[in-house]
Amino acid sequence: MSTLEAGASTLDARGHANRRVPAAAVRARLTPWAYQAPVLISLLVFVYGPLVFTAVLSLLDWDLVSPDKTFVGVDNYRRLVEEPEFPHALARTGLYVLALLPFATIVPMALAIMLWKRPGRASDNYRSLLFLPVVLAPVATALSWRFVLNPLGGVLNQVFGAVGLPEQDWLGDPDTALWAISLITSSRFVALNILLYGAALAALDRRAFDAARIDGATEWEITRHLVVPQLAGTTVLLSFLCVVFAGQWTFTNIAVLTQGGPDASTDNVYYRLYTYAFTFFDAGTGAAAAVLIVLILTALFGLSTLLRRRRVVG
Amino acid sequence: MSSDSHALAGSHAPTGNDARTSGHDRTGGRGGSGRRAAAVGRHAVLLLAAFVMLFPLLWALSASFKPGSDIYNASPLPFPGTLENYRYALREFPIWRLLVNTFVTAIGVTLLHLVAGVLAAWSFVRFAHRGQRLVLGLVTVALVVPPQSLIIPHFLMISRLDLRDSFVGLVVPQLATCALAVLLLREHIKAIPPTLIAAATLDGASPAETLRQVVLPLLRPALGAVGIVVFITTWNEYLWPSLAAPSPEHTTIQMGLLLFATAEGPEHGPMLAAAMLATLPVVAAYFLASRRIADAFLQAGLR
Repeated sequence: MSTLEAGASTLDARGHANRRVPAAAVRARLTPWAYQAPVLISLLVFVYGPLVFTAVLSLLDWDLVSPDKTFVGVDNYRRLVEEPEFPHALARTGLYVLALLPFATIVPMALAIMLWKRPGRASDNYRSLLFLPVVLAPVATALSWRFVLNPLGGVLNQVFGAVGLPEQDWLGDPDTALWAISLITSSRFVALNILLYGAALAALDRRAFDAARIDGATEWEITRHLVVPQLAGTTVLLSFLCVVFAGQWTFTNIAVLTQGGPDASTDNVYYRLYTYAFTFFDAGTGAAAAVLIVLILTALFGLSTLLRRRRVVG
Repeated sequence: MSSDSHALAGSHAPTGNDARTSGHDRTGGRGGSGRRAAAVGRHAVLLLAAFVMLFPLLWALSASFKPGSDIYNASPLPFPGTLENYRYALREFPIWRLLVNTFVTAIGVTLLHLVAGVLAAWSFVRFAHRGQRLVLGLVTVALVVPPQSLIIPHFLMISRLDLRDSFVGLVVPQLATCALAVLLLREHIKAIPPTLIAAATLDGASPAETLRQVVLPLLRPALGAVGIVVFITTWNEYLWPSLAAPSPEHTTIQMGLLLFATAEGPEHGPMLAAAMLATLPVVAAYFLASRRIADAFLQAGLR
């Protein structure tokens, strides 16, 4: 009973400046914070604290182990901008985004529409099968790809040889490696986004399409002019998520298959950060890279929020 | 493959029975053969998509049964097959240890996320206190901080505390990603009719009692769904275990597999067998509950 009263008096305390704060009211005011403490402490200790720490670290020259750290100001940032590695990694990240964008939008949209047009047992089975890549162990998948793409006797080269195409060292050639990594990563995007497009499609009103059908529209016309436009919002969202996650999701495949090589052709910003910190033990430059990545992401989010707001208003 | 896929659909009811009778079988006035051609084409495209996406794993599965001399043999089926790769892998690859480590880690992370998530989500819905917008903002922003950008401080933290190769060091820093659980559970609690919560409050139940007696029983399916997503994500995590638990006895299956593959060098047979052993539990679990797992990810994706 006392907590109920206490709940009422907190509401009261919001309006009037607390003239006299009884113990129960103090407790009531603290209760929400007690509930939120685990999450709040987790985020402060493991997200926000580390972000601040990273920002401080980015101003130091330090090898992660030795006791002496030197303050170097913005030298690490200057290095990142002036030396070719980080801009190169940023450009490669952009290429990953471009390579994966169709697999985040057009491909899963087409498959989801096919599944949606004929609901039933068969479509449910396909749906389950096509979602499998999301749950499959990424390292095992990457190792399987390494075997399939092996330049010496891998099955893909055998098939290419059999039909008279030139055999390739898919992961060892700077011209093909980034595309190979993108392709390997693409199945996760396709799998997850079929599901999300499926949900968007399930929310559409089928009667409008039936009406168009009665008016003599072909299936293709219905898809092209009625269904796809209604998926525009989902497509914009998934494109944006692709921009954000293309770098993060290629990370494991890069780490397992190419370590950023050959000739840094498969590098991306996350792998570059990891290399600075844990291959070169250059904590300062790694931290500066992390700060830049977070700033770029923040700018992207700000931009997307602005665009969305304008669309709602205008 | 088709017998598997029949089994995995389970008893889920198709989502649009009515639609099938309302004109969906008509294909723009074409005859029966045209309709059949369209259906065949559709199956061909879907099967091809599934095949392309799953081909490397299927090929690796087949090759894992081929003897070493034969492993690049282009025949799709492993005849004559051998279990030698598996025998070797089971001897040299500490699979049970790794599976137990991974399972315990994933359960630990899932429990932490659910407990912290339920408490915070409940307080967001139940109390209208002043700092709420700020806390909610902190949670939302944390959702978009890429985990890779936090690895340096996390690594330093557990090295300094001498927690490398320990359960605590592996699990606790993964609280960094608890924001998703908080926000998902908040949506689910908001969906509970407010009158139920108000009635409990009028009956004199404290917030803790309301949570325990009214909210949690209704939240059970949501807890299951969020738990599945967190569990699978943690199971598949590679980067953090590679830094926090680099030794084979303490690491998880992803990192363990990579260590094994690296140690084996160019020898592909045992590596593929180990990869298949590491994949098997996940695939089995998926086929048992594919509907539920997909739905769990759907709820997470549509937050």
